[in-house]
Amino acid sequence: MDLPQGLTTARARGLVGCTRCTRPSPAGTRTCPRCGSPLRSRDPKSLQKVWAWWLVGLGCYIPANLYPMLETRTLVSSQSDTIVGGAIDLASHGNIGVAIIILIASVLIPVGKFVILAGLAIGVRHGPQISDHARHVLYEVVEYIGRWSMIDVFVVAILSSLVQLQALATITPGWASLFFALSVIFTMLAAQSFDSRLIWDTAQDAPKNDKP
Amino acid sequence: MTDTDTPPPEPTVKPARRPLRDRISIVWVVPLLALAVVIAIAWQSYADRGPLIEIAFDNASGVRANNTELRFRDVRVGLVEDVAFADGLGKVLVKVRLDQAVAPYVDEDARFWVVRPQVTTQGVSGLGTVLSGVYIEGLWDDRPGETVTRIDGLNDAPLERVGQSGLRLTMRAADGAALTENTPILYRGVEVGRVGTPVISEDGSTSEAEAVIFEPHDRLIDSATRFWDTSGFSLSLGAGGAAVNFSSLASLVSGGITFDTMLSGGTPPDPGAQFTVYPEESEARASIFSSDDAEALTISVLFDGNISGLSAGAPVELNGLRIGQVESLGGRVDEDDPGDSTVRLAATLAIQPARLGLEGDDGPEAALDFLRGQVREGLRARLATASILTGGLKVELVEVPDAPAAELSEPEDAPPVLPTTDSEIADVSASAEGVFERINALPVEEVMGEAITLMRNANTLIASDDTRAIPGNVNTLLSDAGAVPPRLDATLAELQTLIAQINEDALATRLADLLEEAAEAASGVSTASEGVPELVARLEGIAANAERVDLDVLAEDLAVFLENTGTLLAQDDTRALPGQLNETLAEVALVLEQLRDGGVVDNAVATLDSARIAADTFAEAGGDLPGFIAEARAVLARANTTLEGYQVSGGLGRDARTALREVEAAARAVASLARAIERNPDSLIRGR
Repeated sequence: MDLPQGLTTARARGLVGCTRCTRPSPAGTRTCPRCGSPLRSRDPKSLQKVWAWWLVGLGCYIPANLYPMLETRTLVSSQSDTIVGGAIDLASHGNIGVAIIILIASVLIPVGKFVILAGLAIGVRHGPQISDHARHVLYEVVEYIGRWSMIDVFVVAILSSLVQLQALATITPGWASLFFALSVIFTMLAAQSFDSRLIWDTAQDAPKNDKP
Repeated sequence: MTDTDTPPPEPTVKPARRPLRDRISIVWVVPLLALAVVIAIAWQSYADRGPLIEIAFDNASGVRANNTELRFRDVRVGLVEDVAFADGLGKVLVKVRLDQAVAPYVDEDARFWVVRPQVTTQGVSGLGTVLSGVYIEGLWDDRPGETVTRIDGLNDAPLERVGQSGLRLTMRAADGAALTENTPILYRGVEVGRVGTPVISEDGSTSEAEAVIFEPHDRLIDSATRFWDTSGFSLSLGAGGAAVNFSSLASLVSGGITFDTMLSGGTPPDPGAQFTVYPEESEARASIFSSDDAEALTISVLFDGNISGLSAGAPVELNGLRIGQVESLGGRVDEDDPGDSTVRLAATLAIQPARLGLEGDDGPEAALDFLRGQVREGLRARLATASILTGGLKVELVEVPDAPAAELSEPEDAPPVLPTTDSEIADVSASAEGVFERINALPVEEVMGEAITLMRNANTLIASDDTRAIPGNVNTLLSDAGAVPPRLDATLAELQTLIAQINEDALATRLADLLEEAAEAASGVSTASEGVPELVARLEGIAANAERVDLDVLAEDLAVFLENTGTLLAQDDTRALPGQLNETLAEVALVLEQLRDGGVVDNAVATLDSARIAADTFAEAGGDLPGFIAEARAVLARANTTLEGYQVSGGLGRDARTALREVEAAARAVASLARAIERNPDSLIRGR
């Protein structure tokens, strides 16, 4: 009931919107007459998918933090840093700005995504604690910001391809970078799997999601 | 489909169970897959994980957990997982996770050591570890065994390199030899082995070190092999001269050990066999005869008297072949056997049966048999000089053809006694004494007496007036005989006489007058010519020279003669043969007498007379000289007058100058004559 005034859902109007080309069709239409995509008023398995991707993403995020992200091998030493360890190292060397960026991009955003996604999914099933609109905004933020988590992976990729001075200094990506990339991908998939229209259903009644 | 035949009862409409596929999202496969992968990987890594072994080191400098590798043939085969202390902090336990593949080979024989950068005289090793950090090197054979769980690591790299096997020996340093860690063992200049870290032997008497001879050189070693130290250089001084030996510059710096097999027929050594490293090759070679392993035959010899020079270790030779050595020495008084109470030198000899070609267990017995037979044939022991320089003695077994019959006496509880014969000792001191004796026997007194007589005779001869009167003649004679003294001496003597005569003729006075006149003349023309003072100077030089000739020359001649005589007397031949010299001198005297009596002296006197005539001629010429000078003076005076007369008329000036120049030339000629006389007065007499 928190819907802004004058707004109603497509479902309430007996319509189903194409998620791809956004064309509304009468309810019951199987395929979008414009783009041919299958039409569904709601995705009944959306939450399952979200949880599945979410779990895998979280699973990948754990080794991403435990294994070294970068292995720096110079003439006299070799050093391997985990994400947090590297940020702390940078901070202790005075690069607090860079450390904060890394921490935000690699820790705050992914963790925030996990939390938000979990919160949204739980909210769909068990009733929201915050307004639908706020939830939708959160969802949009998660969708938008997800790709930026890849910044860490890009940094590793660029460094390891640039710094290949043979014996003098080499930087190789650690296992964590792979896991981190996978984690980002899986959380993005989780966010995509989330059928945001479910948010509105909970706004109107108890979750009666089914009926294709 | 199933209930089409039966009339349908009112169906209890239950919503059809939707297929699982509809209820469960396919996406769940992903986490399941991930889980499966994780489990698989975990299992895989657990299954692949090799055993954890603990290597105990004294220290673990540079070893870091999760960083230091274990390498075998420079390939990583493990990683250090933990570095901890053993119980009681006595050791450092390095826990290494082995790779599964090599684990079966890491058995009790495996050896581990930490590779660190090392700079030694042998070179630099492990340089790579400066940058990369240390690593643990493992060495094990290729036979699988039971993997150890705990093993002691080595402090240093073992002698064998990876993949190199060899014969392990124990080196024991003899007195004077030194074992140095990592010393190469060289054979013909090729490194065939290496010496490990030396330790003090258990009894503390020497140092021992493990050594390894790499394959395939290990077959060069057998029980007859002897090792010696080639480090540094050796200076040996012996009968063969002095020799400086060093095998290579490398061994000079870092030491080295080499070996040689002294005898054939050695047996291959067991691994770990002990060898002695001798300080010098000669000692090593000598040691072959004192080897403990071969059983020696012990016999004793009784020498009459105690002759210094024989010492324990002295060689025992049979026909020049060394067959053993002197074991011990002692005196023995045995009134029963030799029958008197003198102290005899009892030498115990150790004969090596192997050196007689008698090997095997019954070698000593066979050698004794051999000796027994030989003694019957006349084999005897005697002392002989081993070294002239040191006076050392050796024992020689020689066949004495006409020796009195003797047997090898074999007492019950003592070694068999070999009969002896006379010693053959080339004693240096005895020889020297003989030389001195011969010198003593020489008739030195008589020789001296004769020499004194000779000197006296010679003195008389020289002191006689005749001899004094004719020193120049003797000089001439000597120059004729030996072509030594020039005739100049005699000529000079004559010239002296000549000058004296000139003096007698008051030539000098006249010459002085003449010179005064010339000086006047010179002063008269001095304004026109400056050459005349030079003439004067030269003339003065002539006078000075003339005055300088004196009797010194004569005295010198006499001195030379005396010296010659002295030299003659000083010659060894003269001493050795005084009688002959006497005769010779008598002959010389005779000759001199003959010379005196004969015409030679007269001839010489005649020659001198003729020279005197020549000198007289010169004197006359000298007498003419004042006239010439007077004429010159007159000419000069005239010229002077003329010059004065025609001083104003310049036309005649040139004529006057020409005249003056002629005078000057004339004066120069006189000067050059004077110079010639001065340089070579002889020419005046000889005409050239």
